[in-house]
Order: sequence, then structure tokens, then C-alpha cells
Amino acid sequence: MSIKALIADDSGVMRKIIVRAATAAGISEITEAVDGADAIAKFGQEHFDLVLTDWNMPNKSGLEVIQEIRDTGSTVPIIMVTTEGEKASVLQAIQAGVSDYLTKPFEADALLAKIEKLSLA
Amino acid sequence: MRAEYINPFIEATVDVFKTMLGCEVERTGLAVNQTFCPQFDITGIIGLSGRAHGDVVISFERDVALKATEALVGGTCGEITEDVVDTVGELTNMIAGNAKTQLESLEMSLALPTVIVGHNHSIRFPSKVKPLSLPFQSKWGNFNIEVGLIESPVDAHIVVG
Repeated sequence: MSIKALIADDSGVMRKIIVRAATAAGISEITEAVDGADAIAKFGQEHFDLVLTDWNMPNKSGLEVIQEIRDTGSTVPIIMVTTEGEKASVLQAIQAGVSDYLTKPFEADALLAKIEKLSLA
Repeated sequence: MRAEYINPFIEATVDVFKTMLGCEVERTGLAVNQTFCPQFDITGIIGLSGRAHGDVVISFERDVALKATEALVGGTCGEITEDVVDTVGELTNMIAGNAKTQLESLEMSLALPTVIVGHNHSIRFPSKVKPLSLPFQSKWGNFNIEVGLIESPVDAHIVVG
């Protein structure tokens, strides 16, 4: 079965790193979003099986992306990949409905493991 | 600037380079900078605000930026491309973000990074800020981190939202 992932990060380099990990996890259909507003627009256009989002992005933050996706009633797995490592930030993301959380910097294997875990769930 | 604010930036720099780039780095000094700070070839700047506020400025020799980009995204990189600019912005973001996490009691939030490209450019900190300068060396060359943070007035801090 083909798994479709949406990757939202304003850094092109970070998107490349996440795409590489998603591809290694066997995800063949990947849509990239350059900021939070782009992510919400693309999420509304098609079905996704997995979402990976940064926190600090222009136009809409990753936290807003999670909240808006959950407001649609979607239960899609969402992984936040971010520099925001404080307990208060992690708690905010959990309350917004994030499924998993990875703090930068990270080992490539750690990202791969989280993608594999949620894309196979 | 209070001395205890600086160690998290040193630890964050070592950690980010080792974890993301597989590159060991070493701090070679520490100095109180002037407000007029000459920079290397490409520089990332990021603002922090909260119970303390200010800026982090990370300036890289060209070869460091190119090799860091190769380590992050693969391939070879012979000039300053969009990927190199993104890499400098992301490293700046990660180092400041990682240090911010260690300085959790300051309840700071990060702005989006800005990247400046050009030889012999300079960055001016506000006159009240006396930034600390941290020169680093790596197998790829040198880079420099300047951290200028001052404590915010009690009634003016911004809480992370």
C-alpha cells in the first residue's frame, strides 16, 4: 500500500533531510510545504497518511498546523521536528494533538525510527 | 551579559556540529566584543525574546559553510547556493534553539533566522548590549559565535505562546 506524507518546513535543507528519511522508510509519495499556511492548504487538497512539521515557520506555526488539522477531525499521525525542546513547548504540542516529537539536533536513525513507527501504525 | 548564559551556547554548538554534521569543533577563545563586529563570509542571525532578549550571530568561513552543507544534504558544494544559505540558517536556528532549551527559566522564544552573504560585512548590536564572542575551529575552518543577551524589564517579557 502506498503511504503519502506531507512535510512542512521553511528550510529547504531540512525538508531534504526529512524527505531522505521518509524515502528510506519506504514512503514513496511525498508532498512538501514551505510554511504553515502552505501545509494547511495542501492538507485540505488530498489525503495524507503522515504529517511531519517544523514548529517555527512563517505565516502559520507548526503548532497552528497541528491545531487546524485536529480541528478538521483528522487523526493522521503528526510528528513535530523542532528546536523547541522545553517541557512547556512539548506539553503545548501534546495538548494540540501531536503524535510524536523530535528535537533538533537529531541522529538520522532517530528520525527514521519515528517515521517507520508511525507510518506502519 | 551574565556569564552563565554563555555555556549553553558552547554546549549547543558542539552538540549540533557533532550530531548533525559528524564534525568535532573546539572553542579557541572567549572575548567581550565591541558593538562593531566584523564577520566571515556568511552569517546567520537569530533573535531571542523573553525574560532575556537579544541576538545570536554565527559567522562562518566560506569553506565551513560549504562543507557543512555537503555533510547535511550530501553531494558536493563549490559555491554559496540556496542550500548553503539554508544550512547556515538552520545551524543558527538549532544552536540558538538548543541553548534556549538549556536556559528554560528565561522563557525565551526564537525568531526566524536571517542569513547575510558577503565578505567583510559587519553586524552592530544595540549599544546596551555587550556581546560575548566565541571563536571556534573545525577540520573545515573557523567560525565565530556572538551572543548578546540582556535581561528584559520584569513587566515587558514575552512568554512563549
